[in-house]
Amino acid sequence: MTRLTKRSQYLLAILGVGALLCLAAPLSALALTDQEVISGVAGPKTDEIAAKGDPGADLTGTVNDVTLADSKKGLTLADLANQAGQNKIAINFVWTLVTGFLVMFMQAGFALVETGLIRAKNANHTMMMNFMVYGLGLFAYYVCGFAIQMGGCAPIANLGGVYPLNSEHVVQAFGKPWGLFGTKGFFLQGATYDVGVMVLFLFQMVFMDTTTTIVTGSCAERWKYSAFCVSTIGLGALVYPLFGNWAWGGGWLSQLGANFGLGHGYCDFAGSGVVHAVGGITALSVAMQLGPRIGKFNRDGTPNVIPGHDIVLVLTGCFILAFGWFGFNPGSTLGASGNGCLRIGSIAVNTMLAGCTGSFAALLYMWMRYGKPDASMAGNGLLAGLVAITAPSGFVNPLAASIIGWIAGILVCLSVEFFDRIPKVDDPVGAISVHGINGLWGVLSVGLFADGRSNYGGSWNGVAGSVKGLFYGDAGQLVAQLVGISTLVGVIFTLSFLWNWLVDLFVGQRANPKAELAGLDIPEMGALCYPDFQLKAQE
Amino acid sequence: MRIVGVLVVVGGWAITIGGLLMTSSNLARALIACLGIGVSIFGILGVLNSYYLARAIWKK
Repeated sequence: MTRLTKRSQYLLAILGVGALLCLAAPLSALALTDQEVISGVAGPKTDEIAAKGDPGADLTGTVNDVTLADSKKGLTLADLANQAGQNKIAINFVWTLVTGFLVMFMQAGFALVETGLIRAKNANHTMMMNFMVYGLGLFAYYVCGFAIQMGGCAPIANLGGVYPLNSEHVVQAFGKPWGLFGTKGFFLQGATYDVGVMVLFLFQMVFMDTTTTIVTGSCAERWKYSAFCVSTIGLGALVYPLFGNWAWGGGWLSQLGANFGLGHGYCDFAGSGVVHAVGGITALSVAMQLGPRIGKFNRDGTPNVIPGHDIVLVLTGCFILAFGWFGFNPGSTLGASGNGCLRIGSIAVNTMLAGCTGSFAALLYMWMRYGKPDASMAGNGLLAGLVAITAPSGFVNPLAASIIGWIAGILVCLSVEFFDRIPKVDDPVGAISVHGINGLWGVLSVGLFADGRSNYGGSWNGVAGSVKGLFYGDAGQLVAQLVGISTLVGVIFTLSFLWNWLVDLFVGQRANPKAELAGLDIPEMGALCYPDFQLKAQE
Repeated sequence: MRIVGVLVVVGGWAITIGGLLMTSSNLARALIACLGIGVSIFGILGVLNSYYLARAIWKK
């Protein structure tokens, strides 16, 4: 008898018992009880395994491994059902945690990209900002950010329900309910000390941290370290969680479909808006207040190029980010089993394609416009494509993903030039363009390209059916996305601006000019990043 | 000027929300939302940024 046949016997026996029970009783009578003992299903003998081991992996993972509620009674149908449920949730927990770990590693990618794009005299300062956003942001999010964002998000079926997160503060206005913020989960205390909530917290925390690290790039080379610390805490504790609640925590944007008939409400699969646009728009608000670096603009307002010090760091960082994005987008299913989660394959392919076309488009644009393929803009094109596909990745097909990425690659080049030449906002790494502008483009593209083929449990944001964009017949979805964009530009910018205005009043945002000219490593951090290098101050 | 800028930025969002309440036509709502976004962008780049540009370090 072959090994396969032997294993099949166990499976067939279990399936046979299940089939007999189905035939013998109507579905309503199949309510599981411990009374229904399954007999005649024998697993491999443990003595046999002890003597020979299991090199072929056909004796491990059998009926022997099903957890029994009562070993004296034996295997019951309830035991099997409970094991199946636990396996589904275990798969989803592991998937969500591992993808969260990938997203956490993106911090290293951001640190390398930003540090490579600034001058060597500020490298320690920039690395330390990227390093500490992790701790500062996590602390703020743990204290109150998570509760504000996800305190009323239950149920999330893929993670076992996370039922303790069941309290959303809702106000009634204009005859409609408007969910504003969650109220459970502060310090992860009480009932939120729950296995599903912990998984959700970890995954959402690393997303928030991505947002906070976007700002450090735009404000590099002139931001006081103390101001950065206070600013980051405000972003992680309040600004990001509020928009996160409105979009993902059951708040009013997600209910635009149910309340105003706008498609499925604001849809942002993995965070072009929630994560990237919030970060990019906050970066714009702080960079405006900080003003440009000394030497960036001449007296007549024409911009100067201030090249970064290490393109190797930049492109290595881009690769790390592209790798981490496979956690960002596919992980946002919050599971790999059930509720349409098998779309993780197409989400990953969409992510890969958009990054590729974004990089290619930016490379071609720069080559045609300036005669040389620009390395840093090719990297930014890759990131722009990835940012743009983040919101639509779960709703569009591969061709649409390629188009979205291609447009993002061109858009990032145009946007960098625009901010340099027209509003003269100094953004050393292009984060406003990569994350802000392309984050908004990603949000908009859901309303255009969503193809109505996804089916995450039959509904999204409480509206039955699949998400469809304008090109597939649902103009209401496009309106919902526009409302989301308006909220990002109108409300999130304002909150970020006001918070950082307060920081400026009480802490002071900008490093003093002497320190800026010398490089912030010694004046702000007390140590050079490259003590053996000959550094030159730049007037 | 900064207060004015902030009010214009928030005003853009208020226009968008007003559009949702005023009409049920998707086309009208989309146009009003675009108007709201435009007003907010004007508040950011036309009012607030102009305030900071006037005091920019490279003009001193």
